[in-house]
Amino acid sequence: MGIILCATRGGEASYPTQDAVIALAKEQGDELVFLYVVDTSFLNHTAAPLVVDVEPQLEKLGQFQLVMAQERATTQGITAQTIMRHGQLRTELVSVVKELGATLIVMGHSLGPDAAFEDSALQVFAADLQIESGVEVRFLDKID
Amino acid sequence: MKRKGFYILVILGIICLSVGIWWLLTQSAEWQYGPSFFISTGIFLLVFVAISLRWMHETAAALLGAAAVWLVHYIGGTFFPALQIINFEESMTFVDWNVIWLIMGMMIFMAMFSETGAINWIAFRIFRLAKGNAWLLVIGLVILTAVLSAFLNDVTAILLVVPLSIQIAQTVGIHPFAFVIPEVLASNIGGAATIIGDPPSTIVGSHLGLGFVEYLVNMAPIAILCMIPFLIIIGILYRREISGAKEQYSPALVSQLENDALITDFPLLRKAGLVGFLMMILFFTGDMFGGIPSSVIALSGAAILIAWVRPDMHRMLHEVNWTTLIFFIGIFIIVGGLEATGVIAWTAGIIGNLAGDNIKIASVLMVWIPGVASGIVANIPFTVAALPIADFLTATISGAENLVLYWALILGADLGGNSTILGSAPNIVAVGLLGQAGYRLTFGRFMRDGVPVTIATLILATIWLLIRY
Repeated sequence: MGIILCATRGGEASYPTQDAVIALAKEQGDELVFLYVVDTSFLNHTAAPLVVDVEPQLEKLGQFQLVMAQERATTQGITAQTIMRHGQLRTELVSVVKELGATLIVMGHSLGPDAAFEDSALQVFAADLQIESGVEVRFLDKID
Repeated sequence: MKRKGFYILVILGIICLSVGIWWLLTQSAEWQYGPSFFISTGIFLLVFVAISLRWMHETAAALLGAAAVWLVHYIGGTFFPALQIINFEESMTFVDWNVIWLIMGMMIFMAMFSETGAINWIAFRIFRLAKGNAWLLVIGLVILTAVLSAFLNDVTAILLVVPLSIQIAQTVGIHPFAFVIPEVLASNIGGAATIIGDPPSTIVGSHLGLGFVEYLVNMAPIAILCMIPFLIIIGILYRREISGAKEQYSPALVSQLENDALITDFPLLRKAGLVGFLMMILFFTGDMFGGIPSSVIALSGAAILIAWVRPDMHRMLHEVNWTTLIFFIGIFIIVGGLEATGVIAWTAGIIGNLAGDNIKIASVLMVWIPGVASGIVANIPFTVAALPIADFLTATISGAENLVLYWALILGADLGGNSTILGSAPNIVAVGLLGQAGYRLTFGRFMRDGVPVTIATLILATIWLLIRY
C-alpha cells in the first residue's frame, strides 16, 4: 500500500484533481494525504502597513481548504489525512515526501481562469520536483 | 533576459524624454531652471516606475531614490554647483513627521488589537445574523470592511476580513470574488472617510494640520454617498452568483468557520477596546485640547496599551512595519528634491494655466488626474508630489481658500485606487490572499468591477465638490 501526496490550494480549479486523486487512492487502496502550504511571499512587494500577523489568518484559510478536501474524500468513501506547512511549495513538498515516505505526488493542470499556475510553468515545476524528491509526479485532472 | 531588456528600454526612454524636454524648454527665453531640475525629476520618475512596475520592493525604491538625491547633491554638487538638489538638513524639513508617528502609533495599536480575534468574531456573527440570506451577508461584510478601513486602516481591514470571507463564500457556495472584490472596493471608499483610513487621506490631512473631526465632516458624507452607487453596481454585477447561494451548508465547514472566529484573548480585547474607545474620544474632541495632533493621540494610545498589556517589547517592535515608515520618509525626501529644484512650481504652473483661474475646472482636474493616475501608478508618491501643487493652486486661484482642491486630491487618489489591481495596497494584498485559496484574480477581471465603480464614485465626488464647495 502506497501513500499518495496531493498538494492543494482549494478553489474550484482544484476540485477535478481532488476528485481524480480520491478515485485513484480508492482504486489502488493507497493512503491519501492532502498538503496545504502557507506562503506569505506575496506580501513582499508592498510597503503597506502589514501589522496583522498574516500567518495565523492564512493557517485558518488553509485548514478550511483541507477540511473541504477531506469532506470531498469522505463523501466518496475514503478517509484522507491532511498536513499544513509554512514556506515555499517546492521545498515543503520535498520535505513532506521524505517524511511520509510518499510513493506518488499528484498535482493538477491549470484549469480555467481560477487556476493559480500557468501550465508551462507547472510542467517545469513538476519535472524539477520529480528529480528533487525521487518520487513520480503525476498530473490528474479528471477521473479516467 | 527579456525582463532586463524591458527595464533598460524603459530607463533609456525616460532619459531620452527628459533630455528632449530639457532641450525644448531651454529654447525658451523664460527658462530659469538648471540641471538639478532634470536630475530630481529623473530620480522621481525612476522611483515611480520602479514602484508601479514592481521592479523592486517599494521601500527599496524609495530609499534608493532618497540616497540618489543626496549623493548627487553632495558629490555631484561639489564639482558642479548646478547639480545641488537638497542637503540632508533641508530634506528632513520635507518629511511630515506627524504622518510617520501617526502610522507608527496606529500600527502598534492595531498589531495588538488584531490578536484578539474580534474582527473574525464579528464577521461570523454577520454570517449567523444573515440566516442564509446571501444578499444580507455580502452587504454586511462589505459595510464591516468599509467601517474597519475608516477606523483602523484599509490594508488591516482586508487582512482581517478577506480570509474569513473566502471561507464564508465557500461555505455558502458563492464564488469568493463576489465577496472579496466588493470588500476591496469598499475598503478604498471607506478609507477616504477618516484621516487615518487611507495613506493619501493621512498625508493630505496631516499636511493641512486637520483634526480628526474637521476631516471627518468634510469627507465622511461623500464616502457614505459613494457607497450607494457602489452597492448598486455590485448588486448588478453579482446578482447571479449571490442568487445562486446554497440553502443547506455543510456542518463540517460551518463548524470549522466557527472555530476560526473565536475571540482568542478576552483580557486583551477588554484593554484594547477601552484604549481604542478613549483614542476615538480624543480624536473627536482633539480641537478642545489645543488641536492635539492625531499622531500624539495614536502614540499615546499605543504607549498606554503597551504599558497595560506588557507584551514582549522585542516582539512588539518586530510587529511594527518599519518598511512602511522608511518608504514614507524616502518618498517625502524625493518629493522635497522636486520642490527645492522648482519642478513642483513648474508643474503647478502648467496645471494653473489649464485651469485658467477657474476654481471649478481646477477642482475637476484635481479629482480626475489623480483618479485616473491612481489606477496606473502608485498613489502614495503621486499624492505626496501632488500636494505642493494643490498648495500652489490654492494660493493662486481665487475661491480655493475652502480647501476644495485638497478634498479633490484625496477623493481622486482614494477612489481612483479602485480601478485596477495596482491602484492601492488593499487590492494587491487581496489578490495574494485569494491566490492562497486557489483563486487567481487577474488584472482584467478586477477591472471589470473596479472601473465602473471608480467612474461612478468619481463622478459623484465631482458633483459633490462642485455643489458643496
